[in-house]
Amino acid sequence: MKYMRFLLQNLFRNRRRTILTVLSIAVSVFLIATLRTLLTEMEAPPETPDSGLRLITRHRVSIVNILPVSYRAKIAQVEGVEAVIGSIWYGGVYKDPKNFFMQFAVDTDQFFAVNSDLIIPEEQKQAFLKDRTGAIAGENIARRFGWKVGDRITMEGSLFDFDAELTLRGIYRGGSDVGSILYFHWDYFNEALGNRGFTGTFSVKARSAAELPAIAERIDALFANTSAPTKTETEKAFMLGFISMVGNVRLLIAGIASAVIFTVILVAANTMAMSIRERVREIGILKALGFRRFQILSLLLAESVLLSLSGALLGGFGARVLYSSMNMALVTGGFFPRFDVTPGTLLLCVAIGVGVGILSAGLPAWRAARRPAAAAMRGVV
Amino acid sequence: MKIPLRYNLRSLLVRWPGSLMTAGGIGLTVAIVVTMMALVGGLENTFVDTGHDGQLVVLRQGSINEVNSFINRDLFPAVRFLPGVARDGRGEPLVSGEIVVVINNTRVDGQSSNMIVRGLTETGFVLRPEVRIVAGRKFRPGLREIMASRALAERFRNMALGETIRFARSQWKVVGIFDTGGTAYDSEAWADYTEISQDWDRPVYSSMLLRAESAAAADEIRRRVAADPRINLQALPQREYFAGQTGAAAGGTKALGYFIAVVVGIGACFAAMNMMYGAVMSRAAEIATLRAVGFRRRHVLASFLAESLIVGVAGGVLGCLLALPMHGISSGTANFQTYSEVLFNFRITPGILLRGLAYAAAVGALGGYLPARRAARMKLIDVIRE
Repeated sequence: MKYMRFLLQNLFRNRRRTILTVLSIAVSVFLIATLRTLLTEMEAPPETPDSGLRLITRHRVSIVNILPVSYRAKIAQVEGVEAVIGSIWYGGVYKDPKNFFMQFAVDTDQFFAVNSDLIIPEEQKQAFLKDRTGAIAGENIARRFGWKVGDRITMEGSLFDFDAELTLRGIYRGGSDVGSILYFHWDYFNEALGNRGFTGTFSVKARSAAELPAIAERIDALFANTSAPTKTETEKAFMLGFISMVGNVRLLIAGIASAVIFTVILVAANTMAMSIRERVREIGILKALGFRRFQILSLLLAESVLLSLSGALLGGFGARVLYSSMNMALVTGGFFPRFDVTPGTLLLCVAIGVGVGILSAGLPAWRAARRPAAAAMRGVV
Repeated sequence: MKIPLRYNLRSLLVRWPGSLMTAGGIGLTVAIVVTMMALVGGLENTFVDTGHDGQLVVLRQGSINEVNSFINRDLFPAVRFLPGVARDGRGEPLVSGEIVVVINNTRVDGQSSNMIVRGLTETGFVLRPEVRIVAGRKFRPGLREIMASRALAERFRNMALGETIRFARSQWKVVGIFDTGGTAYDSEAWADYTEISQDWDRPVYSSMLLRAESAAAADEIRRRVAADPRINLQALPQREYFAGQTGAAAGGTKALGYFIAVVVGIGACFAAMNMMYGAVMSRAAEIATLRAVGFRRRHVLASFLAESLIVGVAGGVLGCLLALPMHGISSGTANFQTYSEVLFNFRITPGILLRGLAYAAAVGALGGYLPARRAARMKLIDVIRE
């Protein structure tokens, strides 16, 4: 620590070079922090205490296949099930196909029992339950389209042959979707399609998390030998199923991140090489004053680590501050309801800073430390 | 008179470690950008390359893709005998009624994903002359046989030639592997229409593919279909239909690609700037000499800008070379319109390489401008006094 002043003086000798290097590293580490956050958010979607109690039952063949609504009463009787609702993806177009957001027609009688993690004013909840063509929307989509309670929302059916004409009765916050879904009454949906009595999936709220696997097995056993067998999994596993479809994002991101890290090493190495070359004579003086080789080596390495670590911290914390001040649910059209730079990601940034610092200065610092004092002072490079 | 380029080249060679590191940094940046372009390009190309002019896809009115479209069978004749539909040698209309279903399967990497199974008949093959059978044979109706595209067979379990996959109510034997030359059909498995329809309890068509006699006839068919309220159908040009799905599969990746390109580009600009400032500062005496022998400020500016451009373009060439091995690598991603996987190949085209080089040149120019201006503004007297 007593050499801190010495290190800082050296770093600020060429202020422009230091700033440019720090900025270059910061931008690259910012990118790495963003990519890693993308990955952590995809692999661990937001959870609430309630989402850990929910199961999703879908058709075994695929999510696109529909299920008869009569399954609901049977699932409700399964031991350990507290509440169950049917839910189907409506997939309507609101004004323009670009205005994509998630819409589900749901059974409303037990909707708030299953989704007790939604936060909504009581009078809005009641108004929604009473109005058959009512809807509730998450705060993020309400903000995106400037909706207020009482607004009329008309959506054109693209999957189903009817247009939903709804009235917004409430705006909710929270939930594992972090406020990015529109819900409306399944009764209305069913009637508009001529009472065909089908739904997409069932959301099941279990009594306790410990019972989840047993409940899932019991539900699937009920329908194993029907024409529409089911697959029941936790809400988290269900969400991850969607994510795994996006493809090998992990590999792509790992590839990009390693190329970026390598670039950062080159940039930092260039700076340190320039800086050490200019100081050959000074290093000779240090030696003449009695500094040992390893002391000089560590001083130079410390300087390099300080340089790249400040860049890495700027980039990592910059990403954290930036993303927490932005409404990422809005920016990504609901694809990422939450975008938190985790402590693990920040730790990774720190590790990159230290690693890059050591790797980039290693060779020139070692050469400088080894050079005999007399040669260095003569300025033989 | 301009300062000869040889001056810049020699200067770069004298300071080769720095030049090389900067070019290397820009090169890696370009490699990332070219790879992202190859990914998005390959994905988009899959959709854009699918279909033939003069062929139409008929869907239920309001549906945006085959997976969510249901057409009653009794509408088939109405479409078949529309005027302007091309006929084969025996006088049969070239209309293929097809069913498209999505099934959940496990990928070779152990993760689960969705794939498309299309039920069709012989006419479906006639309307897709790009289909080549690379192993095995076509499915035979009535035997619960299925064919897989080569990409699908490599990516999913139980889809290789001779294997059996269980879905719906039956066991399906894979009897053939086909290839459609990188179109969207390369993400599908094909079986007999009647069998798929039976196994799914869906006595409907998802879509119909038809060939019109001419471009004018195709327009006329489209107009007729749209104008007939009884059938409630729509007819889209086959190429347009597939091109329309690009966004659902490539949109997110494209946005991510632009974001990455901009951010790494900024980082590379700072690095180039750093190197060029270093060059300018250590060559103050040279610059002063150049000015003293009569070169003007703008010559100095142009010369240093050129030097930075050389480093940028050299990095660009390096980056393109680094990214080239990515060409042809196959991968898959989700098509969020059909909830199934679309398989594609990374595709590096001359156009993408040129854009990579332009990107590198831009990094060189942006990074080099301020240092070059600094060089041009150096006061002769100050330098000489030093």
